[in-house]
Amino acid sequence: MAASGFEGFEKRIELHFFGDDPLFTGSMGLRNLDFESLEEILHAVQCTVVSAVANRHFDAYVLSESSLFVYPTKIIIKTCGTTQLLKSVRPLVHLASNRLGLTVRMCRYTRGSFIFPKAQPFPHTSFEEEVIFLEENLPSRLCFRKACVMPSNVCSHSWHVFTACDGDDDDDSSHHHELAEDQNDALYTIEVCMTELDQASARKFFRRGAGDDEKYSGDSAGREMTGLTGIGDINPRALICDFGFDPCGYSMNGIDGDRYSTIHVTPEEGFSYASYECVGSIYDDPHEISRVLKKVAQVFRPGTVSVATTCASHDLWRRVAKALELVGLKCRSCSADEFPAAGTVVFQTFTTTRRK
Amino acid sequence: MAEEGQVIGCHTVDAWKEHFKKGSESKKLVVVDFTASWCGPCRIMAPILTELARRMPNVLFLKVDVDELRTVSEEYSIEAMPTFLLLKEGQLVDRLVGAKKDDLQMLIAKHATDAAAAHATDAAAA
Repeated sequence: MAASGFEGFEKRIELHFFGDDPLFTGSMGLRNLDFESLEEILHAVQCTVVSAVANRHFDAYVLSESSLFVYPTKIIIKTCGTTQLLKSVRPLVHLASNRLGLTVRMCRYTRGSFIFPKAQPFPHTSFEEEVIFLEENLPSRLCFRKACVMPSNVCSHSWHVFTACDGDDDDDSSHHHELAEDQNDALYTIEVCMTELDQASARKFFRRGAGDDEKYSGDSAGREMTGLTGIGDINPRALICDFGFDPCGYSMNGIDGDRYSTIHVTPEEGFSYASYECVGSIYDDPHEISRVLKKVAQVFRPGTVSVATTCASHDLWRRVAKALELVGLKCRSCSADEFPAAGTVVFQTFTTTRRK
Repeated sequence: MAEEGQVIGCHTVDAWKEHFKKGSESKKLVVVDFTASWCGPCRIMAPILTELARRMPNVLFLKVDVDELRTVSEEYSIEAMPTFLLLKEGQLVDRLVGAKKDDLQMLIAKHATDAAAAHATDAAAA
């Protein structure tokens, strides 16, 4: 492992809101936030928008350091490097409340273990600091809180989870203006973190020398990388918004109905990293998520993989393990825990049994 | 023409048909921006389009709100936004989906040249 380098491991925050007055918020909720306000928040986090696309269900932004998804009552921000992601929480909660009459009802913060933890700024210097910061910046009415470090058999490789919610899940009166997506217990999230990428695969995420080609932009580079690596085949139905960074690095958001998927790649040897995240439903064809995970592993051919599934039901993790085993990744650890409003989080780590 | 150098909003089907016809007959490159009031990424492109329109009066820039002109959006199968359609003489020559500034500039440069050349050729032949 290199002594220092770009931190690929992301910090991820998800905030759910509800609104009291549908006439005030409109059915588009958070999507009504003007771009200047969003930019101000991203500025506090130290990242900017490099590409974006939207459909009837949500807005998807590719950032200089990962991704932002804005649904009417849900926002997800995932950032890597040395961004101070948690600084977005207070301004977002205030903006949603003051401008749109939306009240935060759930917060979920997750991350893996940093490759370069000493390079992280406050409050990301430790999970303890992050939890204290979140407690100070979330409204006290989110009183059901839990923080947990989920272990693997490699002590430097853990999954950190913090959730906070208002415990009103059963109270219909406060939530009858919410949209279906927030009450959907059938949905799950899969967060995959891959390291020690096969160098032949990683090389595809370096921008080729453009020479005199003025038309070779981040948009073109992203498109080329998507095609070259077969990323477009992971979910052929999804519309992909991609970007290739200079001199290397890649990000993409996939939009498919109301579901997002997102990939971020740091290809440099010594600290190579790729993440894949998507949303699925327990009612989907069970072979689909297996096919997706196998394809992801084939694109990146990682040495180590960790997968965190957040799901109301308990079966998904088995399907994940089986799928990865089929492509030569052996499960080394598995830990599980329950979190308020989020459901069951299962954290598994895998290492490859095949080496070139 | 007062409308040159600006992005023209088409708020009715008749207005769309009128501008579409004028664009086809002029042989200019026509760029149509399909947006929605609730689409965050569309807001990013608004100032960029205004600037492009100002700089390129030889290209016709139209703007269509997918809720206002539902039939037109359906005709062109608009599903994600912003979607930019590039048309020449009424025919679709390219399509770009997403708030991609560099890609849009590249496509306009690519097709505007052809359109301008055709326009010049016609003028010379007349």
